[in-house]
Amino acid sequence: MIKDEVKKKLEGKFKDWFVKNPRRIYFTIDKSNLRSVAEVLYKDFKMRLSTVSGVDNGDNFELIYHFGSDKTGELFNVRVFVYERHNPEVDSLVPMFRATEWVEREIHEMLGIKFIGHPDLKHLLLDHDWPEGNYPLRKTCILEKKPYPQDKEDENG
Amino acid sequence: MGLKEKIITKSLWVYHVSAGSCNNCDIEILDCLTPRFDIERFGMQLVGSVRHADVLLVTGAMNKKSLKRFKRVYEQAPKPCFVVAVGTCPCSQHMFRPSYSMEAPLDEIIPVDVYIPGCPPKPEAIIAGIVKLIEKVTKK
Repeated sequence: MIKDEVKKKLEGKFKDWFVKNPRRIYFTIDKSNLRSVAEVLYKDFKMRLSTVSGVDNGDNFELIYHFGSDKTGELFNVRVFVYERHNPEVDSLVPMFRATEWVEREIHEMLGIKFIGHPDLKHLLLDHDWPEGNYPLRKTCILEKKPYPQDKEDENG
Repeated sequence: MGLKEKIITKSLWVYHVSAGSCNNCDIEILDCLTPRFDIERFGMQLVGSVRHADVLLVTGAMNKKSLKRFKRVYEQAPKPCFVVAVGTCPCSQHMFRPSYSMEAPLDEIIPVDVYIPGCPPKPEAIIAGIVKLIEKVTKK
């Protein structure tokens, strides 16, 4: 178990250290520390970045970087909160992990978070004609509502 | 029954279009083609290019991105070309209807000849659907 070593090494950079179970640890970092924390986890502790997940919490965006240690089986979930509703920006991890290119593209098209330092932030899954500035997984996303067939029946009877 | 219908229903060549499906209907189509159900004994054969196809087997709820590709594929198919909607997704968009990437059900885009609902439909249901298609074509 390396979580105590990680805690000591990252002293002062994190808050809300939460051990959910012996192999799953959550902690929150400031978004300016993201690259340095990722470097410590990757280079010093030989962890790998499993994936990145993003969610719109209403008043902020939450990105979770899932780092896994293959030797001990521990999973470190690094939370990054982005509080800007307009033009949210986070540092990209592409210079360190080439594979985050796609997941960052997906988060960009779905939530509208801009990754600084990403080589090419084009759409990954959405159509290339998708309107700019309308991000489907944001709470404020506007979609045209199509009536259901049963709704039409309700109107008649 | 004209000569054209007689020829075309003797050996329907099918082309499989997966327009964003979860692959379950695709697996059931594969079941039809492999030895257990073996629709090739009725002359039906899976072809690699839509330019050889008589029937398009469409699976999956059509999303905005695959819609354009699907239209392009359909335009390349030699006419007459029959369209079979395999699974609930192309029939009615299923649970994906309120999704942000859905455009319209399949039959609002192109004419559909046979609907095979089910999630996924059994291979027997797919074969029964094709039989209905042959009946429909020959009785015209």
